[in-house]
Amino acid sequence: MNIMIWASVMLAASLAWTIWFLKNPLLGNNVDLRQSNIDLGKQRKLELQQDLDQGLIDKEQFDLALEEISSTLAIELDQNNSKSLKSGNTNVAIWLVVVLLPVFSIGVYQQLSTDNSAAIVASASSSKPLSLEQSVIKIEQRLQNNPKDIEAWKMLGLGYFELKQIKKSLAAYEKAYQLDPKDPRLLVEYASTLISANNDQFVGRPVALIKEALELDPNAPDALYLAGMFAVSVQDFELAKGLWGKALNALPEQSSDRQALLSILAELNRVENGKVSNTVTVNVAISDKILASRSADDYLMIYVKAAKGRPMPIAIEKIKIKDFNGQVVLSDMNSVMPTKLLSEHGQVLVVARLSRTGNAMRQADDIQITSDMVTVSNNPSVILKLD
Amino acid sequence: MIVEIGHFALILALAFTCLQVVLPAAGLFKGNFSLVQLSRPMLWAQFFWMLVAFAILMNAFVVDDFSVKYVASNSNTELPTIFKMSAVWGAHEGSLLLWALILSGWSVAVSLLSKRLPSEVLNHILIILGLISIGFLLFLLLTSNPFERLDIIPTQGRELNPLLQDFGLIIHPPMLYMGYVGLAVPFAFVLSSLIRGQLDSTWLRWSRPWTLVAWAFLTFGITLGSWWAYYELGWGGWWFWDPVENASFMPWLVATALVHSLSVSEKRGAFKHWTVLLAISGFSLSLLGTFLVRSGILTSVHSFAADPARGLFILVFLILVVGGSLALYAWRASLMRSHNSFSWWSKESGLLINNILLVAAMLSVFLGTLYPLLLDSLGLGKISVGAPYFDAVFVPIMIPAVIAMVIAPFLRWKKDTVSRSISLLKPVWLGVAILFVGSLWFAENQYVLFAVFLFIWIVLHSLVLLVNRIRQNGSLGLAFIGMILAHVGIAVFLLGATVTTQLGVEKDIKMEIDQPIHVKGYEFIFKGVDSFSHQNYRGHKGEVEVYFGGELIANLNPEKRQYVTGMPMTEAAIDPSLTRDIYIALGEQLEGNAWSLRIYYKPLIRWIWLGGLFISIGALLAAFDRRYRLRVKA
Repeated sequence: MNIMIWASVMLAASLAWTIWFLKNPLLGNNVDLRQSNIDLGKQRKLELQQDLDQGLIDKEQFDLALEEISSTLAIELDQNNSKSLKSGNTNVAIWLVVVLLPVFSIGVYQQLSTDNSAAIVASASSSKPLSLEQSVIKIEQRLQNNPKDIEAWKMLGLGYFELKQIKKSLAAYEKAYQLDPKDPRLLVEYASTLISANNDQFVGRPVALIKEALELDPNAPDALYLAGMFAVSVQDFELAKGLWGKALNALPEQSSDRQALLSILAELNRVENGKVSNTVTVNVAISDKILASRSADDYLMIYVKAAKGRPMPIAIEKIKIKDFNGQVVLSDMNSVMPTKLLSEHGQVLVVARLSRTGNAMRQADDIQITSDMVTVSNNPSVILKLD
Repeated sequence: MIVEIGHFALILALAFTCLQVVLPAAGLFKGNFSLVQLSRPMLWAQFFWMLVAFAILMNAFVVDDFSVKYVASNSNTELPTIFKMSAVWGAHEGSLLLWALILSGWSVAVSLLSKRLPSEVLNHILIILGLISIGFLLFLLLTSNPFERLDIIPTQGRELNPLLQDFGLIIHPPMLYMGYVGLAVPFAFVLSSLIRGQLDSTWLRWSRPWTLVAWAFLTFGITLGSWWAYYELGWGGWWFWDPVENASFMPWLVATALVHSLSVSEKRGAFKHWTVLLAISGFSLSLLGTFLVRSGILTSVHSFAADPARGLFILVFLILVVGGSLALYAWRASLMRSHNSFSWWSKESGLLINNILLVAAMLSVFLGTLYPLLLDSLGLGKISVGAPYFDAVFVPIMIPAVIAMVIAPFLRWKKDTVSRSISLLKPVWLGVAILFVGSLWFAENQYVLFAVFLFIWIVLHSLVLLVNRIRQNGSLGLAFIGMILAHVGIAVFLLGATVTTQLGVEKDIKMEIDQPIHVKGYEFIFKGVDSFSHQNYRGHKGEVEVYFGGELIANLNPEKRQYVTGMPMTEAAIDPSLTRDIYIALGEQLEGNAWSLRIYYKPLIRWIWLGGLFISIGALLAAFDRRYRLRVKA
């Protein structure tokens, strides 16, 4: 159903509701204003009597207040100008509502809806999504009417890039850049496209664009990533690690970019050191008694920490009990800090902790077991029993 | 497409609000019962479509529909679902939608729960509430449409302000809006009475419980805001005299005066002028608060919507509402004549003094908040009015107000004598005076001594009042219990605020791992800082062990967070208790493993919010007093 059918249904229901109550008006509550004021006046007299009985006022004040209540009531009754209402003809009102409610609602809706609302609705309700070529054509049409729409120029640049029309893509990005040279994301996209056009070479304009992006936002992960790539291209691995480490800090844990970056960093370390990652294989057996007392959504946190020094994990794997198959292999890929890989450590302790919250800090009801000391370079295998 | 249904539902809500006003008004003019009685069903339909629109906007957040500009601007796929839901009122458009929905909800409550109110009065009230709703719905649709679509749909949205990603901010705005919007009800009662030319007992009786409920919500909302600011902003403060805080405090002061003024008008028929003006001022200040926050003319953590065009709309609306109401008041002033006299020493006088002081306090806050804005807008320079001004002007006004609050309940209506009052309260005053003078010899801090004295004074008077009432008739009404609780709440708040301000300790220090630091008898040992990550932020979490008398009493983990958008946030770690809070905020990393930390010792700070809670509960109890639930009996 499209919006017009829905709007018709909503209007029909609204009209039915209104006409029903025009034909069958709600009854009043039979409370008369005049009588209400008289009753309240009497109640105030009763309360006054209670005040007298409780000694809150003396007899003289009571008489005076009683007189005031009476005079107030007299004024209120004198002011009473209630009109008597009669059941009247509602046919004119019905016709007005039938005509004006749809005209007003649809008119205001059409006035307030942007042109593309209909397009968005149409594309959302259509079974066939627009192809990339069709989207690019639509964006071009839009830009003819709105040539200063920066977002549209960026979308056009991206669209042409996906269509492998790099020259057109660069032209679109250049246009967007002229309109807003202070958008870090645009600068990164433009730089990235220039690098692709230049056979992945980091020379000239793209490097300047990355620098501009980082000046505008020193923590922009995309800009840091590209800057890291540039550092690798000039063999400055330390700078690359620093930049990517900073990018990791700005990316959320579940982000796929983060995982990709971690892999690249691990690879960089292997390349740099000329060796492969060491591993620690951890087998954890959880007793039936513990399993029975825990939820399948509780977390099993398996980590390695230094045998001496700070207790923070070196490498960690956090997994829900329901997803755990009994074994975890920790490697450089699981390192918490990209600059402190598992393989760089000597003797370590392996810890398995069962936690309801998955919180990094140990909680009162966490169950934990720690292994004997093991040496990472031996690629050890450890068995831990939680019972 | 579902978003378009929400958009259309909002327009239908506006259409029904227009019908809620136009048809019953035409019916009143023509004497047509069928048209007049339409106000309630039209209101219910309006509320239904408002709910539909609100639910659809919330759904758009939950399903990450970034075709909606408001969703794309305030949410992203990484945001936890609970914050996606509360993000609906996390920024301008959605919070205005919530405002309008709550106004609609209040109107429905009035239409369903006012069974003792004559239909003709109720219909007038619903017409007035409908007029206010029209203003807000037009504002929403014309300047702040939450259903506006984006031409190009982004694959990812922006970040909800990290300050708002917190439980306190999930509930603080709805509660505060319940209070703000609730003041529209006594305003509508007053306006309907002025229009009908009948400022009678019926209006006074039935507007009071609504005023009390609105006041309770306003108190609770402000209290929640103070609590949130304390633990979320990382400064350890509970009130900053921020213009937006002041914007909610001004209607609270007026609403406080209004509930007392209504009491006198309802029971003794006096103070009608006051009551009418306070009801108009209360709602006008609510609108002013909305104007200040939403126009973007203020710069503070609250002004997340800066758009002068919107401000202009609210300003025009404000002028219409205030100007129209005052014109109506001037026209009907002669109807408010009262022949009810009272002497200078009576309960009426006590409440009048209290009202005058509360209004004077409101004006002092008003001046301090708006004067800098006025100077700035006239190009006469920028001045900053902060805590020193408010402490110097506001506090001296409120001290006699508190004293009047304590004495007035003991005075008789109409006329009393000083000698009777003194003889009644002599033992209490003598006891407290001896205690006070005796304590002067030992007190190190005179402000704290004065606060303790005031606390004991208020609590003792409340107890005496309670005992006297039980002795006199043995039965306690909810209104009476509510009053006692609210007054004790003021005492609890005063003591908490003074003690924490005067005796609180703040240490900004460099901490090395395992090196102990001592503050107010507590030993703090810094154990280091770990990195961590969460769904939509990463950060550092410190670990500080807190010892007292050699025993570990808390392990606190203050955090510094870096959100996906790059916005940094400080999350303080607090060890709370009724007697004191230990509050730690993580600063910057220094050389080696050392970090800068801020440690606060906050005695009795929880009493501030406990006092607010007492006042809210007291107001709610009073609103449900038997007199407002029973049918009036002759």
